[in-house]
Amino acid sequence: MLELKNVRKRFGGIVAVDDVSFKVNKGEIVGLIGPNGAGKSTLINLVSGYYYPNEGRITFTGEDITWKKPFYRAKKGIARTFQNPRLVGNMTALMNVLYAILGRNGGENLTLYEASAEAMYYLDLFGLLKRRDVLAQDLPLYEMRLLELARALALKPRLLLIDEAMAGLNPAEAENVSKLITRIRDEFDLTIVWVEHVLRILMRSVERVVAMHYGKIIADGTPQEVSRDPKVIEAYIGEEI
Amino acid sequence: MVRLEPRRGRLIIHVFKKKFEWTIEPRYWRNPIIGLIIWLALPVILIGISQLFPISVLRIISTLIFANIICMIAIPLTVQIIGTGRVNFGPHFFAAIGGYTSALLSKNFGLSPIATLPTSFALGALIALFLSPITIISRGLYFVLITLLLPFILLEIAYWQSEIFGAETGIPGVPILLETGNVFLDNVLYFYLSLMIVLLFLFFADRILRSRYGFLMGVINEDEEVAESYGINTTRMKIPTFAITSGAMAIAGWFIAHYYGSFTGPAWLQPSFLIIILLTTTLGGKGAIYGVVLSAYVIASLREATRVAFGELSIVVLFIILLLLLYFLPEGFWGLYRKRRYREYFPSIKIRRG
Repeated sequence: MLELKNVRKRFGGIVAVDDVSFKVNKGEIVGLIGPNGAGKSTLINLVSGYYYPNEGRITFTGEDITWKKPFYRAKKGIARTFQNPRLVGNMTALMNVLYAILGRNGGENLTLYEASAEAMYYLDLFGLLKRRDVLAQDLPLYEMRLLELARALALKPRLLLIDEAMAGLNPAEAENVSKLITRIRDEFDLTIVWVEHVLRILMRSVERVVAMHYGKIIADGTPQEVSRDPKVIEAYIGEEI
Repeated sequence: MVRLEPRRGRLIIHVFKKKFEWTIEPRYWRNPIIGLIIWLALPVILIGISQLFPISVLRIISTLIFANIICMIAIPLTVQIIGTGRVNFGPHFFAAIGGYTSALLSKNFGLSPIATLPTSFALGALIALFLSPITIISRGLYFVLITLLLPFILLEIAYWQSEIFGAETGIPGVPILLETGNVFLDNVLYFYLSLMIVLLFLFFADRILRSRYGFLMGVINEDEEVAESYGINTTRMKIPTFAITSGAMAIAGWFIAHYYGSFTGPAWLQPSFLIIILLTTTLGGKGAIYGVVLSAYVIASLREATRVAFGELSIVVLFIILLLLLYFLPEGFWGLYRKRRYREYFPSIKIRRG
């Protein structure tokens, strides 16, 4: 479904993503892990069109999207969430879902009424229906994260890129979010690439884990394999003295 | 082709395959109707009051017309600020384009005001279209500086080619719109004509801002990157918005040229006029087109009042008063009416709690 070929991204002298090639198959749920600065978020940004790579190619469902703009990718079915919830703070929760519905492929023919009726469905899915008239900036972090997921889902994506859905949440909330993510994967037939720092929960929810370190992929396999990989342990704990 | 479909509280207009929604909720009509009646009766009210004070009636009417001219520039500017997410510091440039176009065309080619109206709109929109890449490549201070330079360039051209543009004497001999022989009646008619234009602008701006297009414009204004990553083609939204609203500003120039019978570029390309326009949009309340009308009238009358009361010091006093208003009314005049802290991008949809 998604394929990266020799993708490289430099920021000045720093190589954030270094010659990365990997493939995500349809229906997979892939966890992307790595220590700080490993290039996970840059990779998400490259796929969603936030940055363009210096080298390499990105294909999505057989189409080369390396140089396509973010809105085109969104219409094609790539949705993302942001590391720090990036909602339109001056708009209500309902409106935040609404523009994703209007922006998606086929949303051009919807009127505001039709779209807002649909937006309520997505809010209800995440238990935010009661909070629809609350400004996004007034929501607590947990609900912001849920709203981001609802907004991403409203795009009717085929590929969902999640950039740290559990950062800053307490364990119970994080557990809830991970359950919701696996639930929507089954219900909406999604392919998910999931960047996360909370490894304990992530390892339980995903089927495949890709570990990155200094912009390179160092391990790729099932959670059990990756967690036992000496390179991954080294990257997380540091070199043995 | 065109089919109307009435629903509860709204009307859906089908034009070919497109759908347009029109919210009709009479329970929200009271205040707009009261406001409109006061606005239409304003000359009568003010002339009545002026009998008590030694103020010239003509002065009052021309102040009201000046307020309408500010509205004609500030309303499209408000829509443009929302739609592009950038503050244009050269609205008077586009107004001057319209003014020069209609003055030169009617003087040199004998075109009537009816013919110069679409031409100045088209030329304003065309120049804006030509300049529109700046809404994509620049933002923040760069956009401000680029747009701020435009009127100065035009001003220099007006001085340089003074036999064409007339520099400080302007271009005289532009046919005027109305002539009845009675100066007072003329001015009252001009007031209502300019009011019709402002009402037309308000109508279009209101319909646009309440539509799905206006809602997406609001998203662009708030966060362009989020808009882009949720499937909104910001480039395709910003360019038409910038072009059309700039064309609408040129209509203000058209009115100025045909109202005064001449167009003097250096008088309208001054930074002080720009400041008045920008303060009108800001004091109106961010993104509030009706607040803009209110603040245009307040600022125009304050300007005239300080001129009467303070003479040479008037502009200093005016700007000090406006500065204080900015400080005490962070949400603008519209914020006094609507005690809400956030902008309403589409007020027409009210979800009933139940």
